[in-house]
Amino acid sequence: MPEPLLKIRDLHVGYGKKPILRGATYDVLPGECLTLLGANGSGKSTSLNAVCGFVTPTSGSVLFDGTETAGLPPHKIFGHGIAQVSQARDLFPDLTVEDNLRLGAMRRGGKALSQTLAHVYDRFPRLAERRRQATRTLSGGEQQMVAIGRAMMSGPRLLLLDEPSGGLSPQFCEEIALIIDALKAEGVTLLMVEQNLNLAFRAADRFIVLRDGAVVDGGDVRAMAGDHDAIVRNIYL
Amino acid sequence: MSQTKMPSARQRRLRSWLFWAVPAVLLLLPLATNPYTQFIANGILISVLVTLGFTLVIGNLGQLAFANTAFFGIGAYASAILAAKLGVPWLLTIPLAGAFGALGGFLASSAALRGIRSYYLAIITLAFGELMRWAYLHAKPVTGGTDGMPMPRETLLGTSLSDDTLKFYIFLAVTVLLVKATLNLMRSRFGRAVMAVRENEVATASLAIPTARVILVTFMWSGFVVGCAGALFARHVGHVFPESFGMLHLIASFAMVLVGGLGSVLGAVLGAVLLTALPEYLRAFPGMEELFFGLIVAGVLVAMPMGLASLLRRVSPIFVERFYREAP
Ligand SMILES: Nc1ncnc2c1ncn2[C@@H]1O[C@H](COP(=O)(O)OP(=O)(O)OP(=O)(O)O)[C@@H](O)[C@H]1O
Ligand SMILES: [Mg+2]
Repeated sequence: MPEPLLKIRDLHVGYGKKPILRGATYDVLPGECLTLLGANGSGKSTSLNAVCGFVTPTSGSVLFDGTETAGLPPHKIFGHGIAQVSQARDLFPDLTVEDNLRLGAMRRGGKALSQTLAHVYDRFPRLAERRRQATRTLSGGEQQMVAIGRAMMSGPRLLLLDEPSGGLSPQFCEEIALIIDALKAEGVTLLMVEQNLNLAFRAADRFIVLRDGAVVDGGDVRAMAGDHDAIVRNIYL
Repeated sequence: MSQTKMPSARQRRLRSWLFWAVPAVLLLLPLATNPYTQFIANGILISVLVTLGFTLVIGNLGQLAFANTAFFGIGAYASAILAAKLGVPWLLTIPLAGAFGALGGFLASSAALRGIRSYYLAIITLAFGELMRWAYLHAKPVTGGTDGMPMPRETLLGTSLSDDTLKFYIFLAVTVLLVKATLNLMRSRFGRAVMAVRENEVATASLAIPTARVILVTFMWSGFVVGCAGALFARHVGHVFPESFGMLHLIASFAMVLVGGLGSVLGAVLGAVLLTALPEYLRAFPGMEELFFGLIVAGVLVAMPMGLASLLRRVSPIFVERFYREAP
């Protein structure tokens, strides 16, 4: 077993008095793609938000490559190399595609930035064609590419993807799976939330299931191949 | 308007050439003016800077802050006090007035940085402006109170600084310098961050962009530009009075921002030129001046909600500014 890149231990998160995560514990191994499964409202997005600092955990620990990041502000955590593509995508709709991408790498400049930009355009040729277009004029799938591309601009070591397939066509799901493969090949580690089980099992290496704020199940994706029913029962029933 | 055409490389070169061509031609302007029109031309240059500073904050940064006239008054009084009481040469008071204006920008931004936004920020910054006016009126030993502050006589290279042609050249140099600096700043990575803050502050912060610093620097630069304009104004009118820095000035500047085009440097120039020159032409219609002025402002805004700059953008992409947002 390699040392985990992200170690989450007994994590508690709540909004006001309402507890959402109640002692979640799991690891993300370097270079893998781990998928979080769970019913609507089970705290999947909250988990990702706790990792990237959008919400502050009430207790517990988030160790990223040996550094405690629980309680740090989002921009500090971002600086450590964790980027999130949130469920709402949070793009700048009136800015061009290229401005959106460049804003993902404000801290970097010059050559490194233009290399990464060229790399993102290689990966997403559709974005290269639309670089000067206002982002709001793009299709949902293209906007998702901008969101992923913008997260890549910072050269993250851990990428959090919240429902990358949300509202998108099956073809696009396959495209996302290819992107995830490519990112893994580059050594990026991924923590993903995905309701589309086909995509979840096509792209991920391992999965865990959240229920009542804790991890109730998990395992190797390959071992579960063909037995989606058992997982579905576990998640939603 | 989904797609704004960006200027080509050739057009960008033409544009930078054009940028210097305009002031170069203006160097000849004093040959074509009489003392009265020269005075108006000088006032226009001041308005350009006032409008530029204003549009940066409300247009580019998207903060409903109305401390612009406060920056202007601070700059004017700083210049007058430094020149009259401390004997600082007026030319030197220009950057110093800018520094005081930037300090005003710092104070105004502290409200925004405390998370005060929209109407609340508007009312607080309006109060800041009125507070400054109260200070000019009541700090009589320093500001002269209702009597105001006269500018001392001074000569530069053997010419009196009350000479409007000499003033014109100095004003023009300061204006061109500050417009160019602002254009460069807004074209840079910093300008992109300014726009990102306007569009979505939370998303910007989550990308590790220091939004507080972006807000602070924009306010301070705005204050600097308008503060410098204040120093020019002090010399322009020769005597600084509190009444010059009230609501009327603020509303007039606001109209210049909107008529030119919110958030556009080019618009700031166009709006300032049109609305500063217009009242002079309307003097031909005594009793009807305000009516015509209002009608023209309303007419421009109905015909071109994005201001005069939008007209030029339609003519040629040369006039499309980096990071200018066309309304949907
Ligand atoms: N900012 C907030 N304030 C209060 N409650 C919140 C907030 N954000 C989320 N919640 C609540 O926390 C619970 C978990 O939300 P979360 O977004 O993590 O769910 P999820 O597992 O991602 O669901 P989905 O699959 O629908 O995206 C929900 O009941 C939600 O109402
Ligand atoms: Mg969610």
